Amino acid sequence: MTSGPLNMVNPFAVLESPGTLAGDFYARSFEKKAGPNRVILNLGPQHPSTHGVLRVLVELDGEYVVRAEPVLGYLHRMHEKMGEVKTPWQYIPNMGRVDYLHPLAWNWAFVGAAEKLAGLTVPERAEYLRVIGCELNRIGSHLLWWGAFVMDLGGFTPILYAFEEREKINDILQIITGSRLTMANFRFGGVITDADDRFIGLIQEFIPYLRKRLVMYKGLVTDNVILRRRLEGIGPMDVDLCQRYGATGPILRAAGLPRDLRKDCPYGVYPKFNFPIPSGPVNDSFGRYLVRLKEIETSLDIVEQAVNSLPNGPIMMDKAPKVSFKLPAGETYFAVEGARGQIGVHLVSDGGKNPYRVKLRAPGFSNLSLFAEAAKGSLLADAIAILGSLDLVIPEIDR
Amino acid sequence: MSDQNKNLDAKNLDAKNLDAKTIDAKTIDIDKWLKAWKAHGAYTLSKHDPHKDGIAVSAFLPLTALLGAAKELYQNKFLLLDLSALEAQEGYVVTYHFDHLESSFRLAFRALVSRKKPSLPSIHPIFPGAEWHEREAYDFFGLTFDQNPNLIPLLLPDDFAGPPPLRKTTAALAPIAKLGLLGQVEILDADFGALIGQTGGLSS
Repeated sequence: MTSGPLNMVNPFAVLESPGTLAGDFYARSFEKKAGPNRVILNLGPQHPSTHGVLRVLVELDGEYVVRAEPVLGYLHRMHEKMGEVKTPWQYIPNMGRVDYLHPLAWNWAFVGAAEKLAGLTVPERAEYLRVIGCELNRIGSHLLWWGAFVMDLGGFTPILYAFEEREKINDILQIITGSRLTMANFRFGGVITDADDRFIGLIQEFIPYLRKRLVMYKGLVTDNVILRRRLEGIGPMDVDLCQRYGATGPILRAAGLPRDLRKDCPYGVYPKFNFPIPSGPVNDSFGRYLVRLKEIETSLDIVEQAVNSLPNGPIMMDKAPKVSFKLPAGETYFAVEGARGQIGVHLVSDGGKNPYRVKLRAPGFSNLSLFAEAAKGSLLADAIAILGSLDLVIPEIDR
Repeated sequence: MSDQNKNLDAKNLDAKNLDAKTIDAKTIDIDKWLKAWKAHGAYTLSKHDPHKDGIAVSAFLPLTALLGAAKELYQNKFLLLDLSALEAQEGYVVTYHFDHLESSFRLAFRALVSRKKPSLPSIHPIFPGAEWHEREAYDFFGLTFDQNPNLIPLLLPDDFAGPPPLRKTTAALAPIAKLGLLGQVEILDADFGALIGQTGGLSS
C-alpha cells in the first residue's frame, strides 16, 4: 500500500494498484468493471434499508447509480440440501423458516407438491383452514412490508401501526399453528389443528377493524404528498422486464398483467371464492404500493367468505400418511401464489426415504434480480425506494 | 399548484383504477411445443399430466438448441421460473421451468450434461434473469455456463473449498427413467434413448 503525505492510506492508490487487497472478493470483482472517476459504494449487509442481510454494491456517478450488483448468501442455509437429508415429514418445519413473513404459503407449496406426487386428497375443512391461514398470513406480510417500506422513505410512524395489526393476526394464527413466526401447521393430507370458536370470533372482529384502519392508512400515508413525490414515476417496471427476469406477484400485477395463480392455476378451494385480482394502473413504485394495499382488501374478502362458509368435517384425510411416509418415485412441480409472487417446489423422488431433489423457487430471488437493470440511472435515494418496492425477504432469496 | 392538486386527487387511488381483470385460464398448446422442439432436434418429447406433474409438456434438448428454444419461448410470452439441476446416473439433468403469462400450468425443457464436461451454454442473452439461476447451479453442482457474464459464487462464500454440495455419491445416484422425468415419452434419438435405457417409440 502507498501512503499519502500525511502518512495516511490513499484509498484511490489502493484501488489502482493490482494485487493489493482492498475490499473483499465481491467488491474487487465489481470494481474491475468500474469507469474512471466513479465512486463504489457498499450498502449492507447490515443496513436498515436492505431489510435483513442483503448487500448491494453500487457504482455512482455523482448521486446517480451507474451500475448495481446485489451480493447474496449472507443468510444462506442450504434448505435444498436439508431437503435431501431429511424425510419429507422432518422437512415441513423448514418451510416456515424459508420466508418468515409468509410461512404458510411455503408450507402449502411443499406439502402440496408431496400430496400431488403421492396422490393424496385433503378434506374440505382443511382446505378452508389452509386458505384462511394463508390469506391472514399474506395480510400480515403486506402490512409489515408497508411499514418497513415507508420507514425506508423516512416515515417512522406507520411501522408501529403495521405491527399493531400484525400482532392481532399473530394472535389469531397462533391458535391454529402454535407459533407466531415460523408457522408450520400443514401436514400431508390436511392440517394439524382445528379452528375453535375463539379463532372464528377473533377473525370476525378483525375483518371490520382492519377495513376501518385501511381507510385511515389512506389518509395518513397513501395521500401524503411527500410519499407520492418519492414514489410516483420512480422505478417503472413493465411486463417485458418482468418476463425477462421472471418477476411475479405484485410487481407483475402492477405492470398491468393480472396474473395470479389463485385464479389462473387454482389450487385448494380458491375457485369457490369470489375475489378480484388487482392490477395496474401504473407500473412505478407507487403502483406496486397500491397493488399491495389493494391485495390486503382482497385477502380480507377471501377470509370473510371462507369463515362464513367453513364446512364441518375432518381436518385430516382418512389413513393420512404417518411419520414414516415415503414419497413414491416421480417428479412434480407445484406452485402457489405467495405474498411476493410464485412460490414453486420442484420435488423429485426415487422412492427412497428422503426426497431425491427439492428445488425451491423463491419469488424474491427473481424479483431482486431485476434490481440492477431497474436502478440504472436513478438517484441513489430512489434506488432505495425501488429496492423497498420489491418487497424483499432475504432468507427466502438466500434459502 | 393545480397540477399538484390533480396529482393528489384521491380519486386516482380509488378501487376503480384497480378494477379486476382476470385472464381466461387456458392450458398450454401442447402440440405446438412438441412440434417446435422436434424442429430443434429434441432427443425426447414427453407429455405430462399437468394436474399431477405440474408441467404440461417437456423435452430433452441438445445443448446447442437451448438458446434457440429459450428465444422461441420468450417470443411466445413465457417467463423463466427457475433452473433446477439434479445429478442422475447418466449425468446432470438441468430443467428449465417456464410459466406462460396467460395460461395455466407450465412447461419445461431439459438438458443432459456429462460429468466429464459439465458445461452448458447460458440463456442469459434471452432471459437475463437466468444469470443468477445459472450461478446457483454453478455453486451447488459445479456446472459452468458459457457466456454467463458474471460466473462467480452467488449463494456460497467465494472461498468455499468443499465439493459442490448437491452432487451425490455414486451409491445414491438414480437413473433418469426411475425419477419420473419422462412422463409419456417419445424417443426421437436412438443413441440418447439407449443412454437413458429407453427403447424407441412411444412408452409410458
